[in-house]
Amino acid sequence: MPLTREITRSEALRYLGLGRSGTLDEEGLRLFDTCKAKLEESSVPRSVTKEVSVSVTDDMVMLGDTGIKSTGLARNLKCCTKAVLVAVTIGPACDRLVKRAQIKSNLEAAIYQALGAAAVEDYIDSVNDEIKERYKAQGLYCRPRFSPGYGDLSLEHQKDWFRMLDITRNTGITLLDSLLMVPTKSVTAVIGLGTDKTGSFKHDCSNCNISDTCSFAAERT
Amino acid sequence: MRRPLRERLGKEWLFCDGGTGTILQGLGLKGGELPELWNLTRADDIKALNRGYFDAGANIVNTNTFGANPLKFDNCEELVKAGCEICKAARAESGRDDDAYVAIDVGPTGKLLAPMGDLPFEDAVDCFKTVIKAGCEAGGDLVLIETMSDAYEAKAAVIAAHEVCDLPVIVTMVYGEDGTLLTGGTIEGAVAMLEGLKVDALGVNCGFGPDKMYPIVERICKVSSLPIVVNPNAGLPRTEDGKTVFDVGPDEFAGVMTKIASLGVHVMGGCCGTTPGHISELIKSVKPLPFTCPAYKDICMVSGFASCVTIGPKPVVIGERINPTGKKRFKQALRDNDTDYILTEGLNQEDAGADILDVNVGLPEIDEPAMMESIVLKLQSVTGLPLQLDSTDTEALERGMRIYNGKPMINSVNGKVESIEAVMPLVAKYGGVLVGLSLDEDGIPDNSDGRIRVAKKIYEAADRYGIPRKDIVIDGLAMTISSDPTSAIATLDTIRRIRDELGGKSILGVSNISFGLPARELINSNFLTMAMTNGLSCAIINPCNGPMMASVRSYKALMNMDPQCTDFIASYADYVPGQAQTSKGDKTQTASTGAKLSLTEAVEKGVTGRAAEAIKEELDGGREALEIIDSELIPALDKVGKGFEAGKVFLPQLLMSADAAKAAFEVVKQSMAGTKTESKGRMILATVKGDIHDIGKNIVKVMLENYGYDVIDLGKDVPPEVIVDTAIKEDIKLVGLSALMTTTVVSMEETIKLLREKKPDTKVVVGGAVMTQEYSDQIGADCYAKDAMATVRYADQVFGE
Repeated sequence: MPLTREITRSEALRYLGLGRSGTLDEEGLRLFDTCKAKLEESSVPRSVTKEVSVSVTDDMVMLGDTGIKSTGLARNLKCCTKAVLVAVTIGPACDRLVKRAQIKSNLEAAIYQALGAAAVEDYIDSVNDEIKERYKAQGLYCRPRFSPGYGDLSLEHQKDWFRMLDITRNTGITLLDSLLMVPTKSVTAVIGLGTDKTGSFKHDCSNCNISDTCSFAAERT
Repeated sequence: MRRPLRERLGKEWLFCDGGTGTILQGLGLKGGELPELWNLTRADDIKALNRGYFDAGANIVNTNTFGANPLKFDNCEELVKAGCEICKAARAESGRDDDAYVAIDVGPTGKLLAPMGDLPFEDAVDCFKTVIKAGCEAGGDLVLIETMSDAYEAKAAVIAAHEVCDLPVIVTMVYGEDGTLLTGGTIEGAVAMLEGLKVDALGVNCGFGPDKMYPIVERICKVSSLPIVVNPNAGLPRTEDGKTVFDVGPDEFAGVMTKIASLGVHVMGGCCGTTPGHISELIKSVKPLPFTCPAYKDICMVSGFASCVTIGPKPVVIGERINPTGKKRFKQALRDNDTDYILTEGLNQEDAGADILDVNVGLPEIDEPAMMESIVLKLQSVTGLPLQLDSTDTEALERGMRIYNGKPMINSVNGKVESIEAVMPLVAKYGGVLVGLSLDEDGIPDNSDGRIRVAKKIYEAADRYGIPRKDIVIDGLAMTISSDPTSAIATLDTIRRIRDELGGKSILGVSNISFGLPARELINSNFLTMAMTNGLSCAIINPCNGPMMASVRSYKALMNMDPQCTDFIASYADYVPGQAQTSKGDKTQTASTGAKLSLTEAVEKGVTGRAAEAIKEELDGGREALEIIDSELIPALDKVGKGFEAGKVFLPQLLMSADAAKAAFEVVKQSMAGTKTESKGRMILATVKGDIHDIGKNIVKVMLENYGYDVIDLGKDVPPEVIVDTAIKEDIKLVGLSALMTTTVVSMEETIKLLREKKPDTKVVVGGAVMTQEYSDQIGADCYAKDAMATVRYADQVFGE
C-alpha cells in the first residue's frame, strides 16, 4: 500500500537545503514532482506500536521492563505513567531510488533523500495523531516524541526498541551493527502519555545537542 | 519403521505443529528472554511443548531453535543439539516414532544481508551451516526454514542446508497482506527462486491468520510445481494487559484451513498463537478431504530481487549493452573499476524497456569472477530487473549465480560434452534458466535439422542433471546473411521448430544477422519481427535502439499481447513521422533547454544535456580536452562552489552544476577511452565503517575527478582495514574520509589511527555533516574540509608539493 498522505512539499524542500529565499528552477521543480510521485507510489509504510508502563526516578526511566538512564528522556517522561513505543518506516523503495539516482544525478539523489525524510516524518506524525486520538478518551495527552539518539539518550537503546517491539518481524526494519536502521527512512520513538495538557504538542528543541547551531531551530522561532 | 519424508511429501496430507512463543510466554517466558535457552534450563517444558504437538497428530514438529544462530549465541550448537534431542524424546514418549519427523527449525538471523544491510552473504551461509550441521548431527529429519521475510536470506539458508546435508528442505516465507515480502520481493519471484534451488516444499507462514492467507496461497498454487506448506497465525496479534493474544480459536481456524486445503496444498499447520488444540482440529477437518498431488507448471520464470519475468509466449527483451565486446569505453570502465558507468548502461536499458539485462564483464586483463560478483551485487542494489549472467568462465558464472538475489538466466551452455559437464551442475545447484546454444563438437549446423538435433541433446542432458525442461531456452543462432544468404532461413526454421516440435523456448542475439551490412537496424528490426512471428521467446537486443523496440512493441500490439495497446500508446504518443525516434525514458534534457548556452553557462546553470552537448561540440571543433576542462569546466564549478560558500547558491544548484559537469566529463572520458590520461594524482575516498550516507562523498568525488584527480572510490560503510590495505597496495598519498553521523566519527578515528600506524606518510582529509575543525583536530586528521571545494584545494596542496 503506497503512502496515503501527500508528502509535505515545504518540509522536503527545506530538507533539500533551500533556505527561506531559495527555490528550485522550473526544471528542478519538475524533477522534484516526478520524484515525489514516484516515492509516494512505491513507498510501503509500516508501523508497530506498543503501550508500556513508565516510571521515572531522577535520571532513570523504566519503560516496561527496561531501565534506561537519560536525563533528557527522564525530563520528557516526567509525570507520565505510561507511554507508547513506536517504530515506523516508509519501506525500502526510497533507499533504492536514492542509490539509483546517485549513479546519474546527485541532485535527484538529494531530492529523494529530502522527500524520504519528509515522508517518514509525515508518516510518524499520522501515527502519532492516531495515538493522540486513542488516548484522549482516557484523558491522556501525548508528550513530544523522543527518540534514541536525542540528547543524552544513547543510540545503543535502539536495541531495546527492537527487542520490545519486535521491530524487524513487524515492519521489516533491521538494525545494523552501527545502530543505524535499514530502510534508512525509518524512525523509532517513545511517546509519553500524561494528564497534563499544557505544552504537550509544542516541538521541543531544548533537549537537542545542536539546538544552538541548528539552522532549522532558528527558522522555527 | 519411519518412511523417508520425501516419499510422503506431496503424496498425502501431512501436518506441521503450531505456535511456540505464545505457549512459552504462558509458561513464564519473559519479554526479551531468549526461548532457545530453555533447551538447557527448562528442557521438560520444551519437551511438553513438543509432545503436545506430537500428541495432537502433527507429522512435522519443530525443534525449539528458531532464533538459535551463532550471531546471537556462543553456544549455538549446544542449543540446537539439545533442541533436537528434546524433540526426539518427545516423539518417542508420544509413540510417534513411526510416522512423525523432527524438523530442525531455522529462523532468520535478524540481520539484513549486504548490499542493503551489513551481513555479507557468505557469512549468512556460514551461520546457517553451523545451525543445520548441529541439528543434522543430533538426528533432525528435515530442515524447516521459516518466517523468512527476505528471499535472499532464505537462499543463503537453503545453500547452507544443501552444502552440509542431504535432508529434505522446506522453506516458508512471510508475506505482507499485499503479497510482497518486507524486502519488496513478490510471491512468484520467491517461488521461482526456491524451485530453482530445489527445495522439497515451499509455502507461507506467520504474518496473519488463515483468512488473509487465502489469496496468497492461491497465487502460490498457480505457479508452484512443488508441495505447498501453509502455517498461518491464529489471527492477528493484539496486546492485552501487556500480553500478546490471538483471537482465532481452533474451530474457526480449522474451518478456514479447510477452504485453503481445497486450493491444492499439501502440508498444513500453524504459527503464532496456534496450539495443539488448533492442530488437532485442523487434522480432524482436513485429513478426510481429497488430496491433490502437486502439478507440474510449465511456466518459465526468472526473477530479480523484486520482479519476476515469465518467458513466453510474450517476447521478452534482454538488454545486451553490459558487454565490453567492441566497446572501448566499456573496456576502460572495467579496467578502472568504474562501476557507475556500467550501472548506467543497465539503468538506461531498463528505462528504454528491457525486461532482463545481460551481464558480460569478461576482459582478459581483469579478474572476471570477482568482477561478475561485484557487478551482480551492485546492479541488484539499483535495479529489480532479472539478470542474465553471461560468461564463458565457469567460475565467473558460479560466483554470479551464488551471490545473485533471485533466479537468474545463465548464458550459456552448448551441446559439447565439456560445456554440459561444466555448466549444468551449477544450474542444477543454484537454479536458473539456462540458454543452450545449438552448436556442439561438430560446430554450428548450417540447417535447422542439425540445430534441432543439438537442442534435443541439451534437453536430454538437462533431464540427467535434474534441470526441468521449462528452464531451458534454446539459442537458434543468428549468423550474418552477408556471408551465408540462407542463414536467416535456417535460424527462423530452428526457432519455429523449437516451439512446434520441442514445445520449448528460444532466444537469439538478433543483431548478428546483419554483420557486415550497412543500415543494420533495418535488417535487424525486420528480422526481429520475423523471428517473433516464428515464435522467438527472448530477443537479445539493444533496447535503446528505436527501430528494435518499435518492432517489439508493434508485434505485441498486433498480436494482442499489449491490452488496449497501452504500452504502445505510452511509448509513441509523441511520435513524429520521419524523425529518428528516441526511445521512451531517454529523457536527457533536449537541445531546446538552453540551446544556445556555452559550456560555462551550462555548467553554472546546471543544464546537464546542454553541458554534454557543448563540450562535444568543442571537442569536435578540435579543442584539447584538458584545455576545455582547465579553462571552462573548472572555472564554472569554482564560481558555483564559491557562490555556495557565500550562501548565494543553494545545495540543489550546486548539485545540478556538479551533475552537468559530470555529464560533460563523461563525454571527455568517452573521447579519451583507451588513451592514457594525465592525472594530477591518485587518492582514496570512502565513507567510514558504519555510515551509509554517501551523497556528500559522491559530490566530492565528482569535483575531484573534474579537477583531474584519479579517485579510488571505496564506497560507503568501509572498514578501516580495507582503506589502509588499499592505501598501502596502491601507494596512496591522500585519503579522504567522510562521516555524517556523530556515532561514526569513531570509525573515522580508528581509520586514521590504523593509517598512521601502517602507512604514516599518507595524508588524511576529513569531512561530513557533523565534522568540525575541532573534531578533526581531536581525531588527528591532517585537514578538515568543510566542503567539496575545500577538499579539492587541499588535494592541490598535497599533490602540488
